[in-house]
Amino acid sequence: MGRIKNRIRRLRFDHDEMTQEELANRVGCTRQTIIALEQNKYVPSIELAFRVARAFGVPLEEVFQDEDS
Amino acid sequence: MAPLQKRALYSFVIGLVLTTVLIVVFVAQGDITAFERDLNLRLIMYAVLVGVPLIYLILVNLTLRKPTQLDERDRLIIERSSRAQWLTVIFTLVAWTIALTEIYQEQGQVPIAFLKLIFTSTLIISTLAQSLGILVGYWEMNRNG
Repeated sequence: MGRIKNRIRRLRFDHDEMTQEELANRVGCTRQTIIALEQNKYVPSIELAFRVARAFGVPLEEVFQDEDS
Repeated sequence: MAPLQKRALYSFVIGLVLTTVLIVVFVAQGDITAFERDLNLRLIMYAVLVGVPLIYLILVNLTLRKPTQLDERDRLIIERSSRAQWLTVIFTLVAWTIALTEIYQEQGQVPIAFLKLIFTSTLIISTLAQSLGILVGYWEMNRNG
């Protein structure tokens, strides 16, 4: 893993320091999955990735980036 | 700890306890035929067989109440652990078949108590294998991603 990086942690803080629990509830996953995402230990499905982007109100590519591109 | 991980840990501990109880009971009674002779032993076994799944269901209900407590990452881990579970069950049945065939080949019949033992052991091993698979799945995912 690690080719897909994300800015979830940064975006959470930019959104009134949203907690991992709050984000998890908004996107419909567990807090442990948010932790794994932030540590780049899990690459989410397209569906979850879109839900995360929607929760922050930003386009997908602002949350997830392909390291190779 | 994720709810599923918690449930797997509970299942694993319950499975180990049940295995220990079974081994202790059968060792204390001498051999497998004690099951056929001893009504008390049968009653203990039936109580264990009914009681343990009940406790398990209560724990599952407490740890995984809402459907949102299980997400895509958890489902991926369950899927992987199911493969390990299936293989373990097959190997258990193969081991039972070979062992009983070799031991009772000459007599031409196997004590009926083995039916219960095969069923119980397969059930326990299946639960243990899935729980262990889930716990290893989380550990691997946290280590390697």
